[in-house]
Amino acid sequence: MAENKAEKLAEIRKKLKELLVTSLSLEDIKPEDIKDDEILFGEGLGLDSLDAVEIVVLLQRNFGLEVKEMSEGKKIFYSVDTLANYIYENRKQ
Amino acid sequence: MPDNVRPAKISSRKRGNRLGFWFFRSCLKLFGLSGAYGLLYLVCLHYLLFDRKAVSSAYAYIKRRFPGCGSGQAIFKVYRLFVSQGQQLIDRFAIISGSDIFDIELKGYERLSAFLGDKSKGFVLLTAHVGSWQVALTTLKKMAKPVYLVMRPEDNAAVRESLNIDAQDDFIRVISPEGYLGGVVEAMNVLRAGGIVSVMGDRKYGFEGIDISFLNHKAYFPFGAFSLAAGSNCPVVVLLSAKLPGRKYLVDVSHVLNPCYGATKDKKGQLRKYVQEFAEVLDKYTAEYPYQCFLFHDVWKN
Repeated sequence: MAENKAEKLAEIRKKLKELLVTSLSLEDIKPEDIKDDEILFGEGLGLDSLDAVEIVVLLQRNFGLEVKEMSEGKKIFYSVDTLANYIYENRKQ
Repeated sequence: MPDNVRPAKISSRKRGNRLGFWFFRSCLKLFGLSGAYGLLYLVCLHYLLFDRKAVSSAYAYIKRRFPGCGSGQAIFKVYRLFVSQGQQLIDRFAIISGSDIFDIELKGYERLSAFLGDKSKGFVLLTAHVGSWQVALTTLKKMAKPVYLVMRPEDNAAVRESLNIDAQDDFIRVISPEGYLGGVVEAMNVLRAGGIVSVMGDRKYGFEGIDISFLNHKAYFPFGAFSLAAGSNCPVVVLLSAKLPGRKYLVDVSHVLNPCYGATKDKKGQLRKYVQEFAEVLDKYTAEYPYQCFLFHDVWKN
């Protein structure tokens, strides 16, 4: 079970990184360059509010998810890891 | 919170503070509309003589709107601008106090009505510091849908008061741009649920802007409203109001923009044309109503 979860999370992280690079048009960055725990906004990957809109769209379009709990936003959008965990916990199977 | 996704705090001494609102409301009660207008000339003279920041911020607009006029004329025009803003402030109180002495004409509501009927997506109501957007918003109460106003917490008290938000809390709700990711997630949720998000489109308030041409000079306007709309596949409805001669107001919602991204990667660059289109709407507005542009900010300086 734990192994299955780890595999699924790895799969989500991989997909997320690919989506980030294509949806946000990140120049000179390959999906494998993005670290799992790299901070997405500001320092780290350096994303901005325009990218935030795109991430909201890609979450909805690719995983059917909306972040409804605003107080959790900072935790969810922190890194690829936190986003992947949110997707794993919340997406419809 | 990373700095580039949260607007920098702007230190501004606001003239539209609680004391100011109390003053105008009291004048209105004591002296009526004409009496309150009369007092304005003195109040505005005070600002003209002693509030250098207000004068210089208004001057930035005046010297571009009237490029040929000399310094003396420009100062007089700044004074006219102050008086015009004061009159609209007084009118606003009269309207929210339930006065029906104003005739308000609504232009373009049929189209807006079609958007209101679409439950699958909302729209962005793009406003600007022209005319009285509070009057415009109050007029749109008949939309029978709450409007989520993207508004800085420091503006809350004054704007809440001017919109009588506490009394109309079903109609006006607030999204703070100082929240996480500048309130983007919250605004997107509202739009996707078929709601209305109202954003100021002519001042950046610390957010990233884009260079466009406004009054024939390079200026910097925010693009957040258009990125929200493009991301949510929603239209942008421009909301303008203007005070007309006599006791009349025009509320105009006839300009609609439909931002969307093309195949090129530069999304910010793609939003420029929509921001420019909005600036051109404002350009025409200021040509028609030159003393109703209350930007009070040098948007031509990045």
